[in-house]
Amino acid sequence: MTDDKDVLRDVWFGRIPTCFTLYQDEITEREAEPYYLLLPRVSYLTLVTDKVKKHFQKVMRQEDISEIWFEYEGTPLKWHYPIGLLFDLLASSSALPWNITVHFKSFPEKDLLHCPSKDVIEAHFMSCVKEADALKHKSQVINEMQKKDHKQLWMGLQNDRFDQFWAINRKLMEYPAEENGFRYIPFRIYQTTTERPFIQKLFRPVSTDGQLHTLGDLLKEVCPSAVAPEVPMPEVCSWLPTWLLASSAEGSHLPSLWRDWEEDGPRLSQQGAENRRNQSPGTETRAVPKRRFTEEDRRF
Amino acid sequence: MEENEFFGEKTFQHYCAEFIKHSQKIGDGWEWRASKDCSDGYMCKTHFQVKNGTAVSHQGTSAHVQTFLPVEEALDPPLDDLEVTETTTAAEVIKYEYHVLYSCSYQVPVLYFRASFLDGRPLALKDIWEGVHECYKMRLLQGPWDTITQQEHPILGQPFFVLHPCKTSEFMTPVLKNSQKINRNVNYITSWLSMVGPAVGLNLPLSYATAASQDEGNVGGQGKKRSLCSTFPVAKILEPLLHLAMSPLLAPAFIKSAFISDRLDTDLFV
Repeated sequence: MTDDKDVLRDVWFGRIPTCFTLYQDEITEREAEPYYLLLPRVSYLTLVTDKVKKHFQKVMRQEDISEIWFEYEGTPLKWHYPIGLLFDLLASSSALPWNITVHFKSFPEKDLLHCPSKDVIEAHFMSCVKEADALKHKSQVINEMQKKDHKQLWMGLQNDRFDQFWAINRKLMEYPAEENGFRYIPFRIYQTTTERPFIQKLFRPVSTDGQLHTLGDLLKEVCPSAVAPEVPMPEVCSWLPTWLLASSAEGSHLPSLWRDWEEDGPRLSQQGAENRRNQSPGTETRAVPKRRFTEEDRRF
Repeated sequence: MEENEFFGEKTFQHYCAEFIKHSQKIGDGWEWRASKDCSDGYMCKTHFQVKNGTAVSHQGTSAHVQTFLPVEEALDPPLDDLEVTETTTAAEVIKYEYHVLYSCSYQVPVLYFRASFLDGRPLALKDIWEGVHECYKMRLLQGPWDTITQQEHPILGQPFFVLHPCKTSEFMTPVLKNSQKINRNVNYITSWLSMVGPAVGLNLPLSYATAASQDEGNVGGQGKKRSLCSTFPVAKILEPLLHLAMSPLLAPAFIKSAFISDRLDTDLFV
């Protein structure tokens, strides 16, 4: 897994440049300027938008403010989906920045879960981690951890601390030497074309005759309308947190993370790292969707 | 954790089908809904309840209770025909939807539910909590994962409330083990729903118990009914549940493991 450290870091530090605009019907005391922010792909909207909330509440009266919610082109954004997933699903083929509309009234009860506090986000996140471990290890690893380890996992995500997070997460990504992988692969496939929110089924990483399953095998079995590359599952799973597979309705249906692989092949992680090392500072960034962002983008 | 391949998705669907058969016989309103792609589905029921602080005339009971009291299942007579003996506050009718889905991650059934007023306004979590009886509340509040949270329905994609499933296997295993021991056929869904349902206002008529058991000749279960300590606060609420427990359907042993078990003096039920 050390070979994949670059990919682990790429996944963790992925950012989406976003422009937040207040909904035009919100009542303000003076005009609200848009707010720009680089959103972490692996986090959740309500966890990283305190500054956005503060910015708009400055121009509003307290009585006109209730629970904040976000919308993109008329679709309420589910805060409990990772940001990267929301972007890939809804906006990946549009030009950057991602334009999100901010609302403070008329909460869409039928579409969105409430998010009254950070505790709710933590509970949701831990619930996902726990469910994934139920599939990978029959919950043995997560249940053997102490409360402080669970807390560290959450704090690592909340405070964008890669090392802090992975110190614990690596235990959740291990499997016994005698096995060839997890018990079942924790995955969810999201598509905009289907009514159900996602596809989730039991799927073993190894076939009955000992062959390693590939991502293609998985997709063939649970989502035959998609096309996939021939990449062995254990490699995929050792560093891909379960929810980073997002299938877009546009184009090839490939998980967005893998689109680059179509052109560059499996050696991308080393090549990508080298490219970044060679890139000169101040290089103009192109506003091309699906491109990986570099440190230079942080000046956005 | 013991390997429990026993309760796979096919088994779940089988027990749901049996459960629904009985529901149809007694007009209890449960039905099966397949997902659009028909690969899976869920069991569901909608019913209406009156929520108020005072009593509603129903089979002679007239105690003041905070919890929900069921009204007649089919709301065919218009609402103003509902008989209300005392009304100091306006009665509000709430529509409850209960969905039973299968979790392949935990390999157990999961209860999803939502409630709304007739005008479509949904009930908030705090309103739901008000309807949960005290004894269940205590236990549900203790464990962060044994509680009611709002989640996205995995098939419909809409917000529902859920009783977290991770402890289900723990309290269901003794039920199944015991039923194997005494050679009874147990409908997993019936047993499970009879335990978790009441916490959120969903009650099962006793006839499900007798329907599930295929060996009604055995007296062993019936004879064990004991008188309860009347000072035990939880006893009154559990009494209907205990009828189920003492029936051939469920052995008394289940109560030790039920998620409310730490509120009970288990010696009562040996």
